[in-house]
Amino acid sequence: MDSLLLRSAEELFSRHASSDAVRAIRAGGSPGALWRELQASGFLDALVPETAGGTGLGLAEALPVLMAAGRFAVPLPVGETMLARAVLAEAGQERPEGTILLGEPFDGGARVPASSAAEWVLLSRNAAPLLRRAEEAQRDDRMASPFGDLLRWPGDAGGDGGPEELHAAGAWAELAAMAGAMERILESTVRHAQERVQFGRPVAAFQAVQQQISVMTEDVFAARMAAQLASVPDGPGIAGLNPLRIAAAKLRVGEAAMRVSAIAHAVHGAMGITEEMDLHLLTGRLQAGRMRFGGEAHWGARLGRHFLRAGDAMDPLAFVRAHLGPMEPETTA
Amino acid sequence: MIGALPLSAIPPEDEALRPEIRAFLRDEVGHIPAERRARSWMGFDAAFSRKLAERGWLGLTFPKEYGGAGRGALARYVLVEELLAAGAPVSAHWIADRQSGPLIQRFGTEAQRRFFLPRICRAEAFFCIGMSEPNTGSDLASVTTRAAREEGGWRLNGEKVWTTNAQHSHYMIALVRTSGTPADRQKGLSQVVVDLHAPGVRISPIRDLAGDAHFSAVVFDDVLLPPDALIGEEGSGWMQVNAELAFERSGPERVLSSAVLLDEWSRWLREAGATEAAEALLGRLLAHLAVLRAMSIGVTGRLMAGESPVVEAALVKDLGTEFEQMIPAVVADILARPGLVASGPLMRSLAYTAAMAPSFSLRGGTREILRGMIARGMGLR
Ligand SMILES: Cc1cc2nc3c(=O)[nH]c(=O)nc-3n(C[C@H](O)[C@H](O)[C@H](O)COP(=O)(O)OP(=O)(O)OC[C@H]3O[C@@H](n4cnc5c(N)ncnc54)[C@H](O)[C@@H]3O)c2cc1C
Repeated sequence: MDSLLLRSAEELFSRHASSDAVRAIRAGGSPGALWRELQASGFLDALVPETAGGTGLGLAEALPVLMAAGRFAVPLPVGETMLARAVLAEAGQERPEGTILLGEPFDGGARVPASSAAEWVLLSRNAAPLLRRAEEAQRDDRMASPFGDLLRWPGDAGGDGGPEELHAAGAWAELAAMAGAMERILESTVRHAQERVQFGRPVAAFQAVQQQISVMTEDVFAARMAAQLASVPDGPGIAGLNPLRIAAAKLRVGEAAMRVSAIAHAVHGAMGITEEMDLHLLTGRLQAGRMRFGGEAHWGARLGRHFLRAGDAMDPLAFVRAHLGPMEPETTA
Repeated sequence: MIGALPLSAIPPEDEALRPEIRAFLRDEVGHIPAERRARSWMGFDAAFSRKLAERGWLGLTFPKEYGGAGRGALARYVLVEELLAAGAPVSAHWIADRQSGPLIQRFGTEAQRRFFLPRICRAEAFFCIGMSEPNTGSDLASVTTRAAREEGGWRLNGEKVWTTNAQHSHYMIALVRTSGTPADRQKGLSQVVVDLHAPGVRISPIRDLAGDAHFSAVVFDDVLLPPDALIGEEGSGWMQVNAELAFERSGPERVLSSAVLLDEWSRWLREAGATEAAEALLGRLLAHLAVLRAMSIGVTGRLMAGESPVVEAALVKDLGTEFEQMIPAVVADILARPGLVASGPLMRSLAYTAAMAPSFSLRGGTREILRGMIARGMGLR
């Protein structure tokens, strides 16, 4: 991973995405200050080719930035805006300032995260990118839930379902943020277990607690590896995204998210259930991420079907080697 | 905290080994019934090991001067993952190639290297590991088998148990007490190599729940060992054993023990058709396999870089064995539909794998012991 980029992303978020700042944005406050910093940093054009005025970085180089946004539970579509800007650049379209969400197409409209601060929603129509202003859409209140709002644009001005490409790109952004959030949850859980004293000892001294945190550690490592595997640019999608890799990674990260959330909450005890503690910002991020752009069953079936129908009838190991193997960033750039 | 694992790839020169290995396995292993291939690294066939030796595939990582091929750990990774995916009967040479040989190479004397390593490479010396005893399982420092120094060598007394392949092997490397008492714990332990044909060695195979007799109880009754039976330093047995275990914890064998069952099931789905639930389940298993394989290669990469990622290896093993155990559990679930009859080889592979799966998280250190190591790595103990 590109540690220089990671360091500057972490630095930016620790300065401008404190718990208070994140909570204020979630409560409907203006994300302006944080967003201006992100724009100034150049991260948002990381995946746009240099010829189009971007930084032209690869997926593996952008991954740490997405993970860092997840670590800080940044309630803004950092990864999605990066991807949307790459799509627009490729189509030779204008890239507006402001936050851009990738819409999950639904019945002529689009599902977006609940009460999101996004200004734009990227859809697709006739296989071309279609950018719509969020404020021009109507929210379907009957369908609203903490997992998402349904937006419809008047006069059938929405997308038409669109290619799998955008869906897969959205899944990549989600899983990267989730992997980052899980790293932070693990740190918080270890710290809490060392500080909270019961029976005269830190609860970390109890073997049952240690074993639970070990399981959690394993899943955090697996989630991070899944995100790295999904960031190998050997596919036909945006910046080389590969839907098979994303299928495997979204599934594995989603599974990890359930176990990691459950153990984190168990170890934090009642304190973890409070609004005051930041834990729910992160575990809530995992819940939401699992529900967006396809969950485990969706992507599992996608992957399993591809494996079974491929003409070459590979054995599982050969398939995994051919499509889901590790490749170092240098050799794939 | 524990360091993140890098995404490391297998270099092209090591990948280049693969086609020849796959072609060889198609000819030599393809005809073996699935339920026998499902035995994975527990399948014993000395003749098969000799065929691998003829190809130069035993001791791949040993230096050339000792009969090896002087290749790196990732070359061996390619070889081993193909052997396991095919369900080749590798058990005869397995322990010598994976554990005992590298141990001798690292800690043995020059004379020991010259004696043992070429024999391992020729499939003439099979090894077993004598760590566990009737009263020593997870608490390995409690071993009581004792080698007492005397004129002309050592006198060995005690008992080992669960020794995989003892009845088929030429040598055992045993962890024994050479000084002090069990109260001294890790201090005073050493490793000795025992010629299993020596007088006073009594080997009794133990039948396992699948009907095989793959492990044994081994009694030492005044067995005389020559002075050069000691491997490494006297009193360094504990350190040496732990170095050995780090290497055995993160290889492809901790991910692929149920690979034959997974392969059989997916073949059957291709023939018989798959429900959406079966597709989703298969995709789930492939996703786990992909991530575990990348993690295991990442640990191997760090071992090759001279690091000792002991905790990371424990982490991959625990996750890997959980995956290996999940396969028979979920495949059984999806095949248990009234009116559905799957193929005989598939069902027999399932029965074997389901029965033996609990052992995957026992051998080489139990799940609870591994999780304890991870917790220590995380600063919790
Ligand atoms: C198929 C197979 C092959 C084997 N081959 C060999 C071989 O070739 N050579 C060899 O030497 N041995 C071999 N073994 C033995 C193996 O190493 C032991 O089974 C293992 O070390 C565990 O010891 P045990 O079975 O005595 O279990 P025990 O140590 O008695 O453990 C019983 C239970 O208690 C738990 N436990 C024990 N201590 C703790 C603790 N401190 N904290 C929490 N939980 C704890 C364990 O995790 C386990 O769940 C083999 C075992 C199997 C199953």
